[in-house]
Amino acid sequence: MSAKFLEKDILLEIEDLQIQGYSEETWIDIIKGVNLTLHRGEVLGLIGESGAGKSTIGAAAMGYARDGTRISGGRIEFDGIELTTATESDKRSLRGSRIAYVAQSAAASFNPAHKIIDQHTEAPVQYRIQKRLEAQEDAMKLYEQLRLPNPNEIGFRYPHQVSGGQLQRAMTAMAMSCRPDLIIFDEPTTALDVTTQIEVLAAIRDIVDQYNTAAIYITHDLAVVAQMADTIKVLLKGEEVEQASTVEMLENPQEDYTKSLWAVRSFKRPQKARPKDGTEPIISVKNIDAAYTGGVKVLDDVSFDIYPGMTVAVVGESGSGKSTTARCITGLLPPMAGEIQFKGDTLPPKYTDRSKDQLRQAQMIYQMADTALNPKVQINEIIGRPAQFYSGLKGTALKQRVDELLDLIELEPSKYYYRYPPELSGGQKQRIGIARALAAEPEFIICDEVTSALDQLVAEGILKLLDRLQRDLGLAYMFITHDLATVRSIADEVVVMQNGKVVEQGPKDKMFTPPHHPYTDLLLSSVPEMDPNWLTTLLEERGVDNIGEKADV
Amino acid sequence: MGGLLNLVLKRLGLGLITLLVVSILIFFAVELLPGDTAEQILGQGATEETVAALREQLGLNRPWYVRYLDWLSGAVVGDFGVSALSGEPVMDVIGGRFVNTLFLAAYAAVLAVPLAITLGVIVALLRNTVFDRVANVLTLTSISSPEFFLGYILILFLAVKNPFFPAIASLSDGMSLGELLNRTFLPALTLVLVVTAHMMRMTRAAIINLLASPYIEMARLKGVSPWRVIVRHALPNAWAPIINVVALNLAYLITGVVLVEVVFVYPGIGQALVDAVAKRNFPVVQAASLIFAATFILLNLAADVGAILTNPRLRHPK
Amino acid sequence: MMFFVIGYYVFLLLASVVLSLFNQTKWFRMVFALFLVSIIVGIVGGAPALRAIAIFAALLATAAALSFAFKEFLILIVRPNLAKELRTAPLTASFGIFIIFTYAIAGTFAPWIAPYGQAEVIAGAFAPADANMLLGADQLGRDVFSRIIYGARNSVGLALISTLGAFILGALAGLLAAVKGGWFDQFMGRVADIIMSVPSLIFALLMLSIFGTKSWVIVLVVAIIYSPRVFRLTRAVAGNIVVMDYIEAAKLRGEGDWYLIRREILPNSTAPLIAEFGLEFVFVFLLIAGLSFLGLGIQPPTADWGSMVRENATLISFGDITPLIPAAAIALLTVSVNFVVDWMLWRSSGLKEK
Repeated sequence: MSAKFLEKDILLEIEDLQIQGYSEETWIDIIKGVNLTLHRGEVLGLIGESGAGKSTIGAAAMGYARDGTRISGGRIEFDGIELTTATESDKRSLRGSRIAYVAQSAAASFNPAHKIIDQHTEAPVQYRIQKRLEAQEDAMKLYEQLRLPNPNEIGFRYPHQVSGGQLQRAMTAMAMSCRPDLIIFDEPTTALDVTTQIEVLAAIRDIVDQYNTAAIYITHDLAVVAQMADTIKVLLKGEEVEQASTVEMLENPQEDYTKSLWAVRSFKRPQKARPKDGTEPIISVKNIDAAYTGGVKVLDDVSFDIYPGMTVAVVGESGSGKSTTARCITGLLPPMAGEIQFKGDTLPPKYTDRSKDQLRQAQMIYQMADTALNPKVQINEIIGRPAQFYSGLKGTALKQRVDELLDLIELEPSKYYYRYPPELSGGQKQRIGIARALAAEPEFIICDEVTSALDQLVAEGILKLLDRLQRDLGLAYMFITHDLATVRSIADEVVVMQNGKVVEQGPKDKMFTPPHHPYTDLLLSSVPEMDPNWLTTLLEERGVDNIGEKADV
Repeated sequence: MGGLLNLVLKRLGLGLITLLVVSILIFFAVELLPGDTAEQILGQGATEETVAALREQLGLNRPWYVRYLDWLSGAVVGDFGVSALSGEPVMDVIGGRFVNTLFLAAYAAVLAVPLAITLGVIVALLRNTVFDRVANVLTLTSISSPEFFLGYILILFLAVKNPFFPAIASLSDGMSLGELLNRTFLPALTLVLVVTAHMMRMTRAAIINLLASPYIEMARLKGVSPWRVIVRHALPNAWAPIINVVALNLAYLITGVVLVEVVFVYPGIGQALVDAVAKRNFPVVQAASLIFAATFILLNLAADVGAILTNPRLRHPK
Repeated sequence: MMFFVIGYYVFLLLASVVLSLFNQTKWFRMVFALFLVSIIVGIVGGAPALRAIAIFAALLATAAALSFAFKEFLILIVRPNLAKELRTAPLTASFGIFIIFTYAIAGTFAPWIAPYGQAEVIAGAFAPADANMLLGADQLGRDVFSRIIYGARNSVGLALISTLGAFILGALAGLLAAVKGGWFDQFMGRVADIIMSVPSLIFALLMLSIFGTKSWVIVLVVAIIYSPRVFRLTRAVAGNIVVMDYIEAAKLRGEGDWYLIRREILPNSTAPLIAEFGLEFVFVFLLIAGLSFLGLGIQPPTADWGSMVRENATLISFGDITPLIPAAAIALLTVSVNFVVDWMLWRSSGLKEK
């Protein structure tokens, strides 16, 4: 417990909290006895992987059980009021006024039918803290403090007329409207881009600090929580792993599980340079422009080369066109201008016009293994089909090939041969996806955010596997990602994209050393780091007023 | 607002095109028949000459597109030609009856719409309780029963065994409104039973769908009272689904009314259509079909336009 | 009469006391509410009203007991994983399954079950029920009971074939539209819109008036009228699957449309399609019954429930329930199918809602 907070200032105390969820006709424990103490003005970070029960605890701190869950045991005491036994109307009178909530998706959590400011003033007017006009003026003040543009005007817009990052700050302002003692932040920046995330983080931190509000900050991102929290509590499958002050937790984690989370990408492979003997690039993207039917241009004059055996990382925020480029290469979206060359030969723009051999050469591994594998098809057919389709293998030869591929991805053939995808874990599914790509015997594979849906340790295993396969089979990868840590560990070359254009490209070592293109700089510096002072330092460097503004083009 | 107007106009245009295609369908389905109206009117005993003469008189020897356009332009102003049986104008046969049908449908709608929406909202709020289960079984039973089953049950219990209402909904000139409402109560009630069940289920589904939205949870977590959650946060977003439910069911009434009219011998356009079908009186069949289809398309159109107009995202564009 | 009334109230009161003693709150509330309602009904309607309530409650209890027993029986005879699903089924669903089974048996073995032929005249017109004729005779002196049994074969059979037709047409078009996309998808969508923009009964009347009421015409017309509904659902279900990455992977592999439909899409869309089949059957059956009722369905002397209602309709004004029996036969089947479908839909969506 941090010495900063005195024992008598306890605001929220949760003891042996147990929550059950209803599924498959029975009640299952989802929170199995969690304790939590929060002092006035303290920010507690709740972190854990998906399914750890962070959000459920957050809602329970308001005495709220979501539909299909129930609080089955333990105590929740908020400032002397026992919430597990309080009446519904007593609990309701706390919500909004003394405990407020900030949801993950601001776009979905604002009512589309009312203006932002009307939703903001609802609670203060209802609790008779302020009259409507006073509340509106207060809202504008809060908007200004949260550095929203046009604070006097923005509240009179409807939610869909405001951008995601701004909406998230407006929601924080709404939570602040009654100056509550406690705010629950439920993954408030998860849906945002890194450059937008910074503004929101900074705004939240300032305002919480300024009003000395206590907060529970729920997230799965360690680096984010390190910036925001005084104390960190780590959860795993509904149970507490450990708790300590932020500095202590970062420097000296006790439990193995925590250490595994903290371990920054340890894997790193040596960087390769382009072959100098005049080998042709395996894939060459030449000046392509592309647009979806009837839409605006999403790719503008994009060019880069991928040489055999090399890994090219394509980075950028959502909407930068990195996935669209992949769709152009595979032929799903024929470019309007420019061409894609494979070993010097121009590929037909549409995949339906390509020959089997051309199709075989460009394989893809997807981000979401859940949607990338047909849940109703057995593993042997998922992997066997490409081998059968391209190489015409049948009978024992096919079975042998499938076994070989399963060996290659380090899964025991006899055990997995007849399984269905839903029976596998996330990492195993991703491996099956890799095996399916390998079954076509390609020389080039597009990896679309392959590790971003996986937990840290599993992701590392996948990266190691991909690296080994690259060395053994001489594959070239186009690695689409927004995670710069991944780029650092496996890329040879980096292509930075923004708004459909290539901003900068070159060998990795050069790309990670200044001077950068301003956008690369912004992107690189916006990725949160594990250092608790990172945000403070960054804000000082950039100056409070232009955080992230460069990204708003 | 330009975008909104554009959207509405586009939808109206689409409805018009649909109506046009349907009218072509109705007109040419009859053309597929062997023989034509002239042969039908005159019957088998007629000589070539008399048939040809009548053809000439009715304009049947003109090319198909001329006749179609002629028919269509007549239909727009309410002139559907003459009945193949009696020779009187089709509009005289069905015009008054159409008004009767509209009256019956409106009678049923006035009773059913408020009832169904209120019940639907109540059931949605009480979801997963015994009340909800019972309502579910009852509404399912009601929508599964053929209209004539409900109609005859009502006749049996409310007209024959307990003579509260007349079993036959005959109309005569100069009836007072009270008398009229009493005479047509049973057919209206039959329609109400079917439509209310449909509407209740759809309203329930729409409201439950809405209550699962994150902004409803947000409102609850802001300490807003349950009543205010419904009125202020759910209802403004519920208009589109509710308008849709109402319009779809009014459209459904149009079909249901045919069977009910036959059960209660009600002088509406549905009965005229059934009679005309049995006697193969095609000008009347065409006219009645077109009127039914037009009403149906119009109601669907109203639903879509209503949904567009009440959508806050479209009403307040970026 | 007095004994019945006293016994009625005493029974309800005792039942509610027993239930509250055993802490069956839910049931206690229902029985006690019934007791309170009965007092009012008793005052207003007298003994006959109470008798009606008692008969209705007894019928309901019998149906519930039957469904429960049938469910337990099913659980015993089916495979274990199916039994597990059945255990969660509400009584309405097992009641539905029971009725569907009964109809299937009646329809399949109609000639052996029915005591007389469907067109056989055995008595005077509208002869009352006796030992020979369970439900009396119809307007031509044919046995109503036998005709009801045959009706299970004729009416249900025709509806089933029509539904199958609508399903094959609609599902195939829907799957193709989802896979092909582009102008084919657009075009099929417009066609479906146009067919659906004419009320189904009106469309059917128009077509039957032109092409006559031969059975194959009915099947074809009804199949065309209802295929757009199947098309839309299939298109929507398949549309959700087509955007999956595994479909993209298969497309990029160079697989043909037929492979995509057969191996990738169909295995993932069976559940909603089966439920839709049930719903579709209900609509089709009601439409065909309506057409027969209007005299445009299966032609006499073939027994058919809709036309049986029409033929005997005049009896209703004498308080005779004969015309209600075939109508009830229709309603019972559609309700049963709806109960089963409702359970299936609840199963697939209920997990999400919880």
